[in-house]
Amino acid sequence: VRPDVAPLPPGTHLLFVQSGKIEHVPLEGNSMKKSDAKTLLHIPDKVIIGVSYDCVDKTVYWTDITGPSISRASINGGEPTAIIKTELGSPEGIAVDHLGRNIFWTDSVLNTIEVAKLDGSNRRILFDTDLENPRGIVADALKGNLYWTDWNRVAPKIETSYMDGTNRRILVKDDLGLPNGLTIDAYSSMLCWVDAGTKRMECMNPSQPARRKIVEGIQYPFGITSYGKNIFYTDWKRDSIVAIDRTISKENDNFQPPKRSRLYGITTAYSQCPQGQNYCAVN
Amino acid sequence: DSTTGSASDCQPCPCPGGSSCAVVPRTKEVVCTNCPLGTTGKRCELCDDGYFGDPLGADGAPRPCRICECSNNIDPNAVGNCDRLTGECLKCIYNTGGFYCDRCQDGFYGNPLAQNPDIKCRACSCNQYGTVKGQSGCNQVTGQCECLPHVTERDCSACEPGFYNLLSGGGCERCDCHPLGSTN
Repeated sequence: VRPDVAPLPPGTHLLFVQSGKIEHVPLEGNSMKKSDAKTLLHIPDKVIIGVSYDCVDKTVYWTDITGPSISRASINGGEPTAIIKTELGSPEGIAVDHLGRNIFWTDSVLNTIEVAKLDGSNRRILFDTDLENPRGIVADALKGNLYWTDWNRVAPKIETSYMDGTNRRILVKDDLGLPNGLTIDAYSSMLCWVDAGTKRMECMNPSQPARRKIVEGIQYPFGITSYGKNIFYTDWKRDSIVAIDRTISKENDNFQPPKRSRLYGITTAYSQCPQGQNYCAVN
Repeated sequence: DSTTGSASDCQPCPCPGGSSCAVVPRTKEVVCTNCPLGTTGKRCELCDDGYFGDPLGADGAPRPCRICECSNNIDPNAVGNCDRLTGECLKCIYNTGGFYCDRCQDGFYGNPLAQNPDIKCRACSCNQYGTVKGQSGCNQVTGQCECLPHVTERDCSACEPGFYNLLSGGGCERCDCHPLGSTN
């Protein structure tokens, strides 16, 4: 079956996964242009979980647990291409390092964190110990750090390491439930995550122990991304994308696609790569 | 195409329950956009993640999409819990296994359907000295390991009365105590 590939119009978009589709919603200022939401890719015979975006080559990357495989396609209408097809169990989270030109992913069956070049070559296992249900992963390209979640019900945790696999450390282990997703909030350089167990969104500066609760009592978060002053998460109970204004810790918008089913990964497809000035301007 | 101006411009969507559809601009292909709960695909012919079945009967009689049936031995926070077509459980937990997570994994025993996860499937932990060589498994239900001659207990960890030397690794040997000089 030849999948549909619809080119992405200019501008910044949210990309999210629902039911074998990667959908996009244009972002205008801080709000979602819901009426312009469309399907970028439709691959119904696959169960897609994670999605990430390379702002340099304007290419979307995703994990699929049915292949299982890791694939990519240009958002200008390119054919989907599988770049990793072997030795995968259940690849879930995926993160592009647009500066180092690498992808990182979590696998919840092999219990590994792996890395490869963007074309799938030079594949290497970074970690295969002390992982039970690794899921969310994010790469802080400018600082060279990697962060991931493990929702192991006995001992959930958020970990970090350098992108080469050195300096692995546990960042958070107390007061966690099911940390499904995490992201770097470009606005504040904070590491933010959503937890379907504690029903919270929290943020922290990775170099300091203090945590900040952004919102509590959320329903069933899975994926998370940020844009401007908003943090967006997908919710399995609401079958929606929920926008949280992090400056006032309040929900300010939501988008429920017409098709009711769980939403999985979500990422921000920037029209231009965030340059060093993003971080330097904040600090 | 509603712009041509003929009576047959608009046709009903080929989607279950009269649900909506759209035409992909480039390929002119018709795709259902609002498949019923648990179904997906261009014609709602597949089941969503977390469901299984064959809603349009592509392979035999139609089977509506149902939620994965895995004996309460899957985690609701996991993805890909069962095969979308066959329903085979793919992510059994609590050391269970089998098509419906209704058996203990090899090397474990107990009642996989028990309520309390702690007593569902426990490791056989057969005693290395008392168990037949190369056997690490045990009876799925009772947990009985395969013991060497004159070795007893579920895990083959003791000698029968009147026998000794479990650590020989070849089974227990008769004590051969003199009946008159022994207490039992």
